[in-house]
Amino acid sequence: MLKYCLCAILTAWAFSASVSAAPKHPDTFTYLTISDSDSLDPAWSYDVSSHAIILNVYEPLFTYDHGSTEKILPLLAEKVPTRENGLISADGRTYTIALRAGVKFHDGSPMTPEDARYSIIRFMLADRAGGPSSLLLEPLVGYSATRDDKGTINPKVWEDANRAVSVQGTNLILRLPRPYAPLLSILAMWAPVVSKTWAAKNGDWDGTEATWTRLNNFRKESSPFFERANGTGPFKLERWDRKTKEFILTRNDNYWRSPARLKNIVVKGVNEFGTRKLMLEAGDADAIYADRPLLTQVKNLPGVKIIDDLPTLEMNPMVFFTYHINTVGNAFVGSGALDGNGIPPDFFSDKDVRKAFAYSFDYRGYINDVMRGKGTQARGAIPKALLGYAPNQPVYSLDSKKAAEHLKTAWGGKVWEKGFSFTLAFNAGNLQRQTVSQILKRNVEALNPKFKIDVRGVEWPTFLDAQKDSKLPIFIMGWNADFPDPHNFAFPILHSLGQFPKYQKFSNPEMDRLVEQANQTTDIAQRKRLYEQLQALEYEEVPCLVLIDMVVYRTQRDWVKGWYWDPIFPDGPYSSYYYPLTKE
Amino acid sequence: MDRLRRIFKLLRQRPMSMLGTAIIATFVAIAALAPVLAPPEAGTRDNYQIPQSGYSSDPVRPSREHWFGTTEQQYDLYYGMVWGARTAFKVALRVVGVSVFVGVLLGGIAGFYGGWVDEILMRMTDVVLAFPDLVLAVVIVAIYGPSLEHVMWAVMFVSWPSYARLMRGDVLSIKEREFVVAARALGASDARILFRHIIPNALYPVLIVASLSTGSVVITAAALSFLGLGAPVGYADWGQLISLSRNWIMGSSGNPFEYWHTVFIPGATIFLFVLGWNLLGDAVRDILDPLQD
Amino acid sequence: MLRYILKRLAFLPVVMFGVTLLLFICLQTLSPAMRASLYVKDPRQLAQLDAVIEKYGLNKPVYVQYGIWLRQVAHGDLGYSETAKMPVAEAIRSFLPATIELTVLAFFPILFVGVTFGVLSAVYRDRLIDHVTRFVAITGYSLPSFVLGLILLMIFYGRLHWLPPGRYTLDSDMLIHGDRFRHWSGLLTLDCALNRQWSAALDVAKHMVLPACTLLYISVALLLRITRSAMLEELGRDYVRTARAKGLPESVVVRKHALANVLIPIVTLSSLLFVGLLGGVVITETVFDFPGIGRWGVQAAQQLDVPGVLGSTMLAAFLFVLANLLSDVLYALVDPRIRVGA
Repeated sequence: MLKYCLCAILTAWAFSASVSAAPKHPDTFTYLTISDSDSLDPAWSYDVSSHAIILNVYEPLFTYDHGSTEKILPLLAEKVPTRENGLISADGRTYTIALRAGVKFHDGSPMTPEDARYSIIRFMLADRAGGPSSLLLEPLVGYSATRDDKGTINPKVWEDANRAVSVQGTNLILRLPRPYAPLLSILAMWAPVVSKTWAAKNGDWDGTEATWTRLNNFRKESSPFFERANGTGPFKLERWDRKTKEFILTRNDNYWRSPARLKNIVVKGVNEFGTRKLMLEAGDADAIYADRPLLTQVKNLPGVKIIDDLPTLEMNPMVFFTYHINTVGNAFVGSGALDGNGIPPDFFSDKDVRKAFAYSFDYRGYINDVMRGKGTQARGAIPKALLGYAPNQPVYSLDSKKAAEHLKTAWGGKVWEKGFSFTLAFNAGNLQRQTVSQILKRNVEALNPKFKIDVRGVEWPTFLDAQKDSKLPIFIMGWNADFPDPHNFAFPILHSLGQFPKYQKFSNPEMDRLVEQANQTTDIAQRKRLYEQLQALEYEEVPCLVLIDMVVYRTQRDWVKGWYWDPIFPDGPYSSYYYPLTKE
Repeated sequence: MDRLRRIFKLLRQRPMSMLGTAIIATFVAIAALAPVLAPPEAGTRDNYQIPQSGYSSDPVRPSREHWFGTTEQQYDLYYGMVWGARTAFKVALRVVGVSVFVGVLLGGIAGFYGGWVDEILMRMTDVVLAFPDLVLAVVIVAIYGPSLEHVMWAVMFVSWPSYARLMRGDVLSIKEREFVVAARALGASDARILFRHIIPNALYPVLIVASLSTGSVVITAAALSFLGLGAPVGYADWGQLISLSRNWIMGSSGNPFEYWHTVFIPGATIFLFVLGWNLLGDAVRDILDPLQD
Repeated sequence: MLRYILKRLAFLPVVMFGVTLLLFICLQTLSPAMRASLYVKDPRQLAQLDAVIEKYGLNKPVYVQYGIWLRQVAHGDLGYSETAKMPVAEAIRSFLPATIELTVLAFFPILFVGVTFGVLSAVYRDRLIDHVTRFVAITGYSLPSFVLGLILLMIFYGRLHWLPPGRYTLDSDMLIHGDRFRHWSGLLTLDCALNRQWSAALDVAKHMVLPACTLLYISVALLLRITRSAMLEELGRDYVRTARAKGLPESVVVRKHALANVLIPIVTLSSLLFVGLLGGVVITETVFDFPGIGRWGVQAAQQLDVPGVLGSTMLAAFLFVLANLLSDVLYALVDPRIRVGA
């Protein structure tokens, strides 16, 4: 009987869509994406698509106020600690966090402060290679890895982690080795609370010292957290079907706030754009992934709404110069000398060369042609949406005269006289980066017939390989925020130990000092000043070209209500925090 | 030689084979006249690089300026089709040439010497033939990095074993014929017998089969390009140009065929090219069938 | 006969060993950093590149890694496929039925169309039906499957909205994964029918129409050609002439005499054809976003997912060798003149 009812309902749905614009499946929200998830384990996953699911199923201690990147609200914590309310100690090193009472996990068991402690410690100690653990290791124990270069576990970690995170009554206490301004930002995104009892029962780490080394650097598929979840969030994980690449979430009816309005969430990977578009058109999908180049094909579809001009926490793409190129067996540098057929290893360590390239990029043309006029030129490593953005900072513009001047002085005039030749590699398949390469090539080559730049798309593995040994003279990459704080841009892009400078072999002690100082300052005005100074230095030094403060758009059915833009949410405007959404 | 002349005579009598020849001749002409038909921009360093007018992502329909329209990223399709003919011949000739050479050599040796040499070589062909050829080619290209060069090597790698097997069979039967036995009795060296007597006589069916497979070689190479494993974006290669159409098969709202040209033009070009070879090949096969009886 | 089969079966592991060795050697020529690309996908992970290489043992020598892998396989563990996000054995279990379903759906029409029109084409040589058949065959043989696939999608999906790509629509998806749905075979059309979910069965079948048609059009040419030439040969033989001379009607001559003999090579060819289809689905599955072995294999190769590549290609090789054997045996069984392995 039931299946006949179901059939009847299905037919009714199909029918109603053709007569009115009422939602086709009023209780179910369907989002079609292209990305593939790695693991649903909060301590393992470091990719945006998994993280977007995790944040609907689990909950961290804090969250952000609707779309703000600065105002933090309590979520599983009772209150946001500040100096004013005394929950952050005067020296900025002790945080007292009271946990909300009456919160239950999906399996019905109550959430305790011990669960919160376990979750943070598990997040740090898991430290899988290539994972997110360093985000909390850094502020809480003061170093970023639990293992040394050879993979041997640092014996101090266990003790340090337990000293940093402890429980007092109903409070969670965090003790930091030194002040760390972005800590609450990080806790609003990472280390959501998992159930210790559930973990132990299902064969994951039981929280004891005896077994923690088995947790360290574990394989994702060996953990129950990989494809199952028991969180406190507004939705429960029903199923992750890896064959058809889809997640099914169902409403948590015992949620500690009022239950969500939507009953089911379906997040499905559909690689073919055409399919995504057609399902959106038919009302079978409520939102789809479509990036800027595809805009013309989703515009003006009946019943579909485009929400544009959404700022992002993303610096993409950036052009990095390698100060000391490894020329051993390197096909990217030609002859490896300044003889007109190549470039020497330290070619880009000359500031004039870097500035000439900065003046050779057509920033406006790029925004107009490639980004369809959307977005503004970036003014430094820190994006517009964040504290520390420097609105008055000077920027480079396309100026072939200045570019030529700089190249005439570079290397004592030898560059201009002899010319150069090298290969500019971008990772293949990324159209934006390809276009950036082509624009640079065209403008630099126009300066002097002796200048040659070959643009070559290389696959990601080759790119990584060349990158690892600093073999690429110039590389083009982007950066997505881990958490909405300027430190998360300043450090990876400008600090000598950051992700990019490490491979550029670039270091500037003054800039390092500014990055570190700004990170330890909790005074907002003071931080702002430090970041402005940092970016003024960046403009002068030009270790990399920042191009654009991107804006993105969202494509959804017009019957979706309650969506708001939250730049911190993983996967930008495409996926969502489903709790506030309705369909009507 | 008489046989060859007879084949050509028969070929001339068949309209289908004439059509095939005409198609191939047209493509040869296009490839040869590429610099005239689609002159590269002044100062271009690589003529196979398709000129790009702007960076906009939307394909533009055929117009006076772009006879065949443009793909996404504004690559000129007409230019791509013309220079792509050169790429197609380059791929076909190199792949067929090298794999036939390797196949003939190894198959000849295996058949001639027999014993453990034969055993090892044939087991090698077994291993390669045990893969669906496209899968193995994908693996090879993915490993060594996508490029046209690697696509050619991959297709060569998967196609030599069938030639080797064919060759071995022929050598085995020729080995027993009177003139070989006679040569051996006269004290001719192994190398002399192999290269003077056996290979030239066994070569002929292999060459026919090889020329027939030119079409499928082009299809396999195009398939790899379509999967994103072939020539870099913007290189004049038909398969690669088709892969640029994937996001555009749906058209825009209200006009589902708006971007038809991005699929249809490169698709039709590959089809015609392969059809030409296959028409010719089929005719040759038809003629050969009774001849072999 | 039995000895011959046993000998061939014993030979199977040798080929499989060669296959894996070949793949392994190819894959190990890559630098450790290149193979780490499977695990490092985001610039945020760059800083830990070395740790990733260490973790997955990517810097160990080839023979050590091959040894580790062989030991794993000996313990029945084929490894974990990063592209499928599941262990290789599980991936095969979940992707193979879909591919088999698609192949079977294409196979019987191919057999039917190929034999029927091949015979007709021979019987009515140089008449209209012969010309049409040969034209269809040669165009199908010359058309790349991705071109045909994209054009079919453009018409039947983009324009007419009839036949979507993928495996099933969301509604059937919910139904199929619901509590009350019993999974009998893994072949979804069959399972849906057995569960009496007719609309879901129809939906699943609808999703396979375009890929199956693509396979049909591309693959039928070979069978057409072989049937036609075998039939022509048979019709030219003495016994057919004798039969005709006896005054038997042409239909009886064709059906009772010639056809019976033509079926022998076709039967033996069919197992090879089936495996050829399994190989041919690589592109078709990719174009139609169909979650089968072919699409998985391509993705695994593109992302350098070593266990995934080994798993999918070994499966393909295994089926291929088996089908070859089957075809030899069938040949020996149906044609007593042949004695294999004698």
